Amino acid sequence: MKLAYYPGCVAQESGKELDLSTRWVCRALGIELAEFPNFSCCGSGFVDEANEVLNVAINARNLAIAERAGLDVLTICSTCQGMLTLANLRLKDPTVKARVDGALKPLGIEYHQTVKVKHLLRVLTEDIGIPAIRAKVRRPLAGLKVGAFYGCHLLRPADEMGWEDGEEPHAFEDLLAALGATPVYYRGRVMCSGFPIQFVKGETAVAIAGRQVLDAKAHGADAMATPCPLCHITLDGYQNQASKAVHQPLEMPVFHLPQVVALALGASPEELGLSRHLVPTDPALRKVAVTAR
Amino acid sequence: MSEESISAQFDVYRYDSARGGTPRYQRYTLDLAPHTVVLSALLRIRSEIDPSLTLRYSCRSAICGSCAMQINSKSRLACYTQIGPEMKRHGRVVVEPMRNQPVLRDLVVDQTPFWTQYDRIEPYLKPDPAHPMPEGRPTTMTPEQVDRFKETPRCIACAACYSACPAAEADPAFPGPMALAKLYRFVVDPRDGATQDRLVRIQPNGLWLCLRCHLCTEACPKDVRPSERIRDLKEMAIAVQGSTEHGSRHAVGFKDNLVDLGLLNEMKLVRQTYGAAGMLGQLPQGIKIWRKKPELLRKPHRIEGAEELEKIYAELDRKSEGTK
Repeated sequence: MKLAYYPGCVAQESGKELDLSTRWVCRALGIELAEFPNFSCCGSGFVDEANEVLNVAINARNLAIAERAGLDVLTICSTCQGMLTLANLRLKDPTVKARVDGALKPLGIEYHQTVKVKHLLRVLTEDIGIPAIRAKVRRPLAGLKVGAFYGCHLLRPADEMGWEDGEEPHAFEDLLAALGATPVYYRGRVMCSGFPIQFVKGETAVAIAGRQVLDAKAHGADAMATPCPLCHITLDGYQNQASKAVHQPLEMPVFHLPQVVALALGASPEELGLSRHLVPTDPALRKVAVTAR
Repeated sequence: MSEESISAQFDVYRYDSARGGTPRYQRYTLDLAPHTVVLSALLRIRSEIDPSLTLRYSCRSAICGSCAMQINSKSRLACYTQIGPEMKRHGRVVVEPMRNQPVLRDLVVDQTPFWTQYDRIEPYLKPDPAHPMPEGRPTTMTPEQVDRFKETPRCIACAACYSACPAAEADPAFPGPMALAKLYRFVVDPRDGATQDRLVRIQPNGLWLCLRCHLCTEACPKDVRPSERIRDLKEMAIAVQGSTEHGSRHAVGFKDNLVDLGLLNEMKLVRQTYGAAGMLGQLPQGIKIWRKKPELLRKPHRIEGAEELEKIYAELDRKSEGTK
């Protein structure tokens, strides 16, 4: 299976551990990644707020790059998944399509809306499949209670994203169970991390993050895992502030989706950039008898 | 067509603010057809088992918007939610009052926060004195003008969106999805003369606190899609006032950043949002993150073909200038 790898901004910069672990998982599962140095950022929802048509146009450009190569796109970020999917959808509106085409054509770029956009979570659970992943597990995450944290744009609006139920998804929990972990169901798993307003009103953003982490903790989670590096920034990078906002110690390790998959498939923590997390992941690793060197 | 009845278990939130104490969940088990709506079940519980159960309802037809509550953690109209799918997914139906509004008794909440935010947007037409409405004859609108608010008038003010909103939960300053969707309805109304003023006034501690999580759009029983109308408001707010708030500066800064490099320059964006002085407040956390993630301070590379992004933007900009 070959896909156009769309790493997004964060995984190329401050979230490098996500890129590392994605590559590890794809190697282990035989997913070939085609790389395109001309992919741009998806706009992260912010460009959509500033200029809707521009947002569609830049993502039509991204999709056209994959289309020319005859490949579907692999995303590893809930927001990238949302923005690229939205571009495909909004291009169905003839007025939008005409404006976008008008901006792309002079550059010799055409996009015919044939590219499917697939998040790694979807590729793992649908294309590779739960049974095939279960068969590859070398180190079952037995005894580890993991709270999945989906990230909004992977799910909603559900009628536009066309995948899981927008409020009661189960793909991530199914995957965690296949890895031997115990999935934790809690309300916060489909909520917002607070990230979009981290730089609008930080104290509210971290209060939102704190609520979700606390909710996972109250339901017994030893760790959280997210398919969204933007959620990871808030849940992990700002967890110290989130803890203050909810007046409770949190100390919740937050994994990226491919990190938990890779751990179960036998990767060592060093290969997954776990030392780059702000909240130490060691307590969770010890539960599954993994020790960092 | 008859349906096999199922044994449905309801765990209903019970609390009386007048008496205080801790809320509890009371279990009721009823044999019901799967298509029975939660409201019918609750009314049967009240009439046959427990007359003290308190809830708000009226039309039973998803028109009045009175019976919004949490059903298995989702904000829904009780008269519009069948028990069959809920039983299938959860094995029980947990019924709780709406969130983000204080509970008065059982399933009834004090809706003051919700209505106060609604009042804040001044939800009535403010005609432009320079263009008074014609007397004695209707004002006309083009189909395109009407089309712009085809969704928002469907709102029945049930507050399901407000109950589902994590921004309203964390920050009482946030107007909430319904108030903002209603604001949109007046902003795009060609008869309204206060559009600019509305767009300016809603920004501080308002519009930009929306998380675009789309939970309101999932909760809305009338497909008003508040989160998408809030997006529209943000773009209009920038058009009217430029980037003056943290939220608008971040959105516009992000766009400029992207058009320039093709990738996000995290540090530059924070500087654009906060200004050089505001950066100081971000410094301690920035250092904590930088120690683990040194790329934070590095300027990202410019993607191949970044000049295409500039040209796309210029072309779209030129075209939209032409249509103004």
